[in-house]
Order: sequence, then structure tokens, then C-alpha cells
Amino acid sequence: MSLTQTGKPVALRGLVKSYGGAAPALAGIDLDIEAGSFCTLLGASGSGKTTLLKTIAGFETPDRGEIRIGSRDIAPVPVARRNIGMVFQNYALFPHLTVARNVAFGLEMRKLKRAEIARRVEAALALVSLDGFGGRSPRELSGGQQQRVALARALVIEPDILLMDEPLGALDKNLRQAIQVQLRDLHRRIGATIVYVTHDQEEALFLSDRIALMDKGLIVQVGTPQELYFRPANRFVATFLGECNLLPAPSGRGEIGLRPEKTLVGGKAAAADIRLDGTLVSAVFTGTGYRIAATVSGRPVTALVANDDPAAMLAPGSALPIGYMIGHAMALGD
Amino acid sequence: MAIPEPPPARPSPAAVPAVAGVPAFAGIPAVAGMPVRPARRLGGWLGLLPMAVLLTAAFAVPVVSLLRLGFGDGGLSFEHFRRIAEVPLYRSILATTLTISALTTLLCVVLSYPVAYLMATVGPRLRAVLVVVVLLPFWTSSLVRTTAWIVILQGNGILNKLLMGVGLTSEPVAFVYNLSGVLIGMTHVLMPFVVLPLYAALRALDLSTVQAAEGLGAGPATVFVRVVLPLTAPGAVAGATIVFMNAIGFYITPALMGGPAQTMISQVIADNVNRELNWGFAAALSTMLLGATLVIFMLFQRAFGLERLFSGAGTARSGEPFRLTSRGRSAGGVLTVVFGLLVAVFLIAPILVVFPMSLGSSPFLSFPPYDYSLRWYVNFFETSKWFNALIRSLQVAGLTVAGAVVLGTAAAIGLGRIPARWRTAIETLFVLPMIVPVIILAVGLYYLFAPTGLVGTIWGLAIGHTVLAAPYVFVTVRASLKSFDPSLELAALGLGASWATMARRILVPTILPGILAGAVFAFITSFDDVVLALFLTNIRTRTLPKLMYEGVAHEIDPTIIAAAGLIILVTILLMLVNLLVTRRRA
Repeated sequence: MSLTQTGKPVALRGLVKSYGGAAPALAGIDLDIEAGSFCTLLGASGSGKTTLLKTIAGFETPDRGEIRIGSRDIAPVPVARRNIGMVFQNYALFPHLTVARNVAFGLEMRKLKRAEIARRVEAALALVSLDGFGGRSPRELSGGQQQRVALARALVIEPDILLMDEPLGALDKNLRQAIQVQLRDLHRRIGATIVYVTHDQEEALFLSDRIALMDKGLIVQVGTPQELYFRPANRFVATFLGECNLLPAPSGRGEIGLRPEKTLVGGKAAAADIRLDGTLVSAVFTGTGYRIAATVSGRPVTALVANDDPAAMLAPGSALPIGYMIGHAMALGD
Repeated sequence: MAIPEPPPARPSPAAVPAVAGVPAFAGIPAVAGMPVRPARRLGGWLGLLPMAVLLTAAFAVPVVSLLRLGFGDGGLSFEHFRRIAEVPLYRSILATTLTISALTTLLCVVLSYPVAYLMATVGPRLRAVLVVVVLLPFWTSSLVRTTAWIVILQGNGILNKLLMGVGLTSEPVAFVYNLSGVLIGMTHVLMPFVVLPLYAALRALDLSTVQAAEGLGAGPATVFVRVVLPLTAPGAVAGATIVFMNAIGFYITPALMGGPAQTMISQVIADNVNRELNWGFAAALSTMLLGATLVIFMLFQRAFGLERLFSGAGTARSGEPFRLTSRGRSAGGVLTVVFGLLVAVFLIAPILVVFPMSLGSSPFLSFPPYDYSLRWYVNFFETSKWFNALIRSLQVAGLTVAGAVVLGTAAAIGLGRIPARWRTAIETLFVLPMIVPVIILAVGLYYLFAPTGLVGTIWGLAIGHTVLAAPYVFVTVRASLKSFDPSLELAALGLGASWATMARRILVPTILPGILAGAVFAFITSFDDVVLALFLTNIRTRTLPKLMYEGVAHEIDPTIIAAAGLIILVTILLMLVNLLVTRRRA
């Protein structure tokens, strides 16, 4: 495949960007992204993730800080010369150009020979399984197809890095999952460095090599999906990524986080390291098992149990022992 | 005598496709919250610069220097204003101006309701025809319209012959050269300003509100008075405001279709410049006219916003739009339809009669002609004064289109790139030439250009026309830029395009329909103009409308009708181009 490319590493140092409001959009960002890795900027809206992406792309100028791609500081490099691929949230396909001309655009800007352009456009469309769609107008394509054209257009220039701004946001759920699988395969095959913005935590967990979780213009924690899920730096990370019960720490100081699937109830709680007295609120059948909602001294606790667990058969209001193994408790810093 | 001038603000093309069932440019919100980068901002100011220079030099300077004359030569004197207030003749002219404008506005509103109702309740095909019927008068040269009306309304005209033929009257009725002539001419041209917003308001009316009122026991009349009227009133008021604002500055129509008792303020301004050579007094009158116009404009902007001036559209609709249901029409509805059709005939009749008349062979106008020939068209092209005037009009229009398209487009693109807090102010300043009565600009430019030798050249006229036309391009391109997704620009830059390449390959092709629509408006603005041509050309450089004006003011001969026929053909052609351009976009 001619589009196999070696992505470049990205290093961000002390990026600050303010629009003059009270809180800066970027309040000092440091981040290293390995060459060829898939890094997701995850956060709620207003967390600064899109601003960060646009700053890397060069559509925004940081007030302070450094952006290095490979060995080169790109701060002084104009957008047109950065060699960055970008997939926009709304795809931003040129409506007056055909699919093929859209994909060819970046190559024409690089003054490639016509035959070379044709060859590469064809390869790029094949890569995203859109062979034979070159003559169509973007309007004639479905949302998923448009998305893939945007991807092909960004990849065909063999960018140093590929930036994606919530590219699946406009698609329905089934299509989104199908494209997530394709995207992950594609990344494995071409080895580009990808910086991906999303607010969807499941998407982030599924796609990423590393996730940078953002809040209020800062990166709260960065690490592999497993690190963020099992060793959250603080309460914000624990509750943002997956469900998390918050319980008083056995030491009496602060809180610990406990995932519902690690929360033991009823008979199983008897063998746990830590045991607490709880009350059943409800047990809801979810197909794979039951979702138990309980309270422990006023705090809500959720547990996932198997279909045959006797705790699911108790009447709401019954006493329900709750427990966990000390190794599953996640220390939450503050 | 005959002819209404091109109104300062035609409904924009944005209003046209909206009505024709093609999505309008309006309504798509501008990109909010997108920060403006410094280089972008600088480029924005640069884009605004050329149009700002033109409007300063050929609009602000002439108008302000003219107005200054009204306050005396040396110090500040209110002598001229005192004279206006004290001399009964001038007081009565102000009263006449206001009365005629008020009556015109009233007529426009009353006549527009049946047409708007008709448009809202018929099928798409008939609706498209009605849109053309409403807009064609608007697009047609003021001289053509007025000529046609005079031919229809004069003593031995078509209408009187018809009335006497069926025995309704034995003596010819005086329809023209009096109040009815002025009102007919002005209502005819200004009606679209009310019909279009009213139609939009009717369509925005949720059908279920009407049905709810009926379910609660309201009859058709009650539904109209209690539901339809209050909900559509804002649209009607918006339209009426524009009509009134335009009407007080009218010059050609009252001059050609009215009598001495219908003299309006613009005519007195022209008279004081041309005959009395009393510039100071003309300037004082201009100051009053301009002041009144600007006050109305500001009230309008306060109440409805600038956007409304161009889009004509009402509120966004929530439910099913108002339409005719399977129950059919009430008796009142049928009556309204009949009345609406009559108004439609009123709108289109003058344009329709021109063609058969121009094809007659006799040197006397007759309708319908006894036999048909192309004699007067041949005469038009073989008579050098007509042919030369046509060529001159085309030259001026060509220069105007080129200038207006470049300046207007650059300014529109520039406006989106400067900080948001400046935009409204600049947009307002840039559309002022559409608002200010043309007579004031004409007299001001005449005053400014006379010492420079630009009067009597096609360049002076083209500059004046560009001042009038560039705002149209500015507005239409602005509108189409609102549907231009700014991430397309970022995408192109990110793929390695320079800004110039991006503009050429992405931006301009996307907004091309807006540019073309603006070019069509610019052409028509120039090609139809009489008022500027009256002041800025001489016998060697007169344009086609000016030559027609001179003819109509004396006697209408068949060559004038042939010229009118040609102009209508050109107009229809351009209207089709505009329609195709906006259609293709959708």
C-alpha cells in the first residue's frame, strides 16, 4: 500500500491560549505524542480539546508555548506548509468539486504530476473502500461515505500527523461503531500519528493508544486507556471515564473509587477485604446480568452482578452487605 | 410624462429564491465564536478599503458638501430652512410629499394582502408565476413602466377606450397627470416590498393556530382579524416602512405621472438646481429629505434589524405552514382570490401591453395594433441617436458591473474577517447608498463633478452607478457567504493552499451565485437609471433611459415603445439568469 507512512512525534510545551475571557482556553498544556500512535484528546465541551487541536493545526495561534512536530518547531510555519492532515467535524468537503477532485486538492497544491495525482487519489479512495466513487459529488454520498472522503483527502498528502475533530459526531450509533473499527484497522495499517478529539469516552477507550483527558484548559491525566481506567489520578478522571462508586477510604482520610464490576454484594461481600452495610434500592435486569443500585450510609453505590446472583431477588429496602477487595480500590489523590 | 425610478432597495435575490421555493441564503447563522486571527483581520480591513474609498469620495463627500450649502455660504445660517417653514407653497409641498407617501403605503398594504394570500394558497406552479408577476415590475426600468402606464391611462388611452366601449362612461376619465396617476405609478413599483414579507409571514403562520381558532368557534372573518392579521402585522409593517421610506424620495414618477398639485420634494430639489440655480435652497430641502429618510431607516433597523431589509423573511415556522386545506375556501376566501388576481393583473398589465404595441406599424399608438411589423425596432437600430444611447448605456453598465462586483465582493469577504463588534456599523454604512434618495446623490455628484469635467462623460456616470450598485453586490455576496462553511477555508489551507489559491479555487466558486446575482443587480441598477443620467450626462453622452425620458416628457412615439420592449426583454433575460443561478445552487 503506497499510503503507508511513518508519522512523526508531537511535543507540546507550555501552550497557553486565551480569548480574553475569564478562564483561558488552554492554561498550559504539556503533551508528548509518540510517532505512529493514536492519541485522543478527551473532554467535555469547553474543556479546550478542540482549541488544542486547532492550535496544533495552526488555525489558532497560541499566546505562549511551543509545538514541535518531529524535530521542527512549527509555530512560525504557516498552515499551508505544516503538512498536517485534518478531518473536520462536518467533513468540510468542497461542495463544488467531485470526490476525486476533493482528494486531489492537497496534491495539486503540492504541484505533483497529473499521473501521480491520479494514482494517489485512486489509492487513497481504495484505502477507505470508496473505489469508483471519484466522479460523484459529495452531496450524493451518505454521511459515512463523506466521512471517508474527508479521511482520504487528509491522508493522501501523507501528513506528518493526522488531526481529527470529532469526526464521527454527526453519524448514527451503528455507523459510528462500524467506522471506529475501520479507523482502528486503518491506523494499524498506515501507522500515522493521529490526534483525535472526542467527548465520547467509549470511543476514546476503543480507539486510543493514549488518552489525554482535558478539563478547563488543562490535561488532567494522560496515559493508556487501562491506566486511566484502573489508575485514575483523581475523582474527576474516575467519574469521567466509566462508572465509579465513591466510598470513604478505609483509612478515614479521603475517598476511594470502586468500579461497579469490582463491587461485591450479598454473599460475595462476606469474603471481601472491606465490608460495609448497605441497603438495596433496585435491581434492574440488563440482559447480561443485573445492575444493583444500593446505598451505603447515604452514598449511592452501583454493582453489576450475574443473572443467578441471589442479591438480585431481594426486595428493595432489604439490607444488602457491600464489599470489595483492597486491591480493587482506586486511590483518588485528593 | 412618465416613470418611477429604481427604488433604493429592491428586494434582494435572497428574497427571491426564498419565495420561489428555493432555499434562501438568509437564515443560516454566521459563524459565531470563531476567533479572528490577526493576519485574517488585516486582510479583512484591506478588503473593505476599496469600497470605503469609493463611498467616501463619491458618496459621503458629495452628499455632505451638498448638505453644507443648505446652511449658508459663510457662517451657520438657517435662512433656507426658515423659508421652507414660512412660505406656504413649500409647506404644502412637504404636506403633499407626506400625503402621497402615506396613501401609497396604505394602498400597498391593502393590495398586498390578497396577493400574498393568493401566493400562499395556490400550487407551486401558479405561485412561481405570481412571484414573477410581483417582481417583474420591480426589475423593469422605471421609464418603461411609466411609459406603459401613460399609454394605458391617458385620455385616449387603452383604459378609457375600454370604459367608453362598454358604455361605463361617455367622457374620458382623467387617470393620469393627477393624484391617481402618481398613486398608481408608485404603488405599482413599491408593492413587492410589502407582498414578499407578507407572503413570508403567511407561510410562517402555523396552520394549526388557524385550525385551533376555527375549532374554538371562530368564523373566517374572525380568524383573519384575530389570528392572521396580528401574526402577519410585523411583516406588513416592515414592508410598509420600506415603502414609505422610498416613497418620500420619489422623483420620476410624480414628475411624469402627476400634475402640478402632486409636486413632491425631490422635484423641487431638482427644480432649484436646474432652473432657479438656488443650490442653497436645494441643499436645505435635501437635508430635510435625507433626515426623514434616515430617521425612518434607523427606526426600521431598531425594530426589525438590517437583515430584514434584505431577506424579507419572517420568523421561522414551527408546524405545518399556512395553506389551503382540502375543505376549500370560504366565500370571503373566494372573494380575496378574485381580488388578488385583479391586483396581479394590475401589476403585470403595463409590461404586457408594451409588446403588442411596439409591434404595430402605424406611427400612432394603438392597442391592439391593426397590423404587426418590426418597423419600430428597425427604426430604433437605424436611428443613430437611439443606437448610440443604447451602446452608451451598455458601456456604462459594463463599467458599473466590473467596479461594483470587485468592490462589493472584496468588501463582503472582508467584513467576515474583522472583529464582530465593527461589523454592524460598517454594514450599515455600506448599504446607505441603497437608502439615500437618488436625487440627493445625483445633485451632490453633479455639484462635486462639475468643476472636474467628469460631468458629461461615461466615467462620471459609471462612478455614480457604482456607488448605487456596489451595495447590492455587497449584500448578495454577504448573504451567500453565510452559507459558506468556514472550515472549507481551513481545510484548503491545511491541505497546503495559499490564501489566494483558496480564494480562487474554493471561496469564489462557492459564492459565485451570490456574485452573479449581485452582478445582475448592478447591471440593472445602471441600465435603468434615469435620475443620475439626468444630471451627469449631456446631449452627446445621454443614455437610453435619459433619451426615453426626454421623449416621454414630450410625446410618446412608437420608437420609445420599441425601446421599452427591448429593455423588458433584457430584463426578463437577466431575471432568468438570476433564477437559474439561484436554482442551480440549490
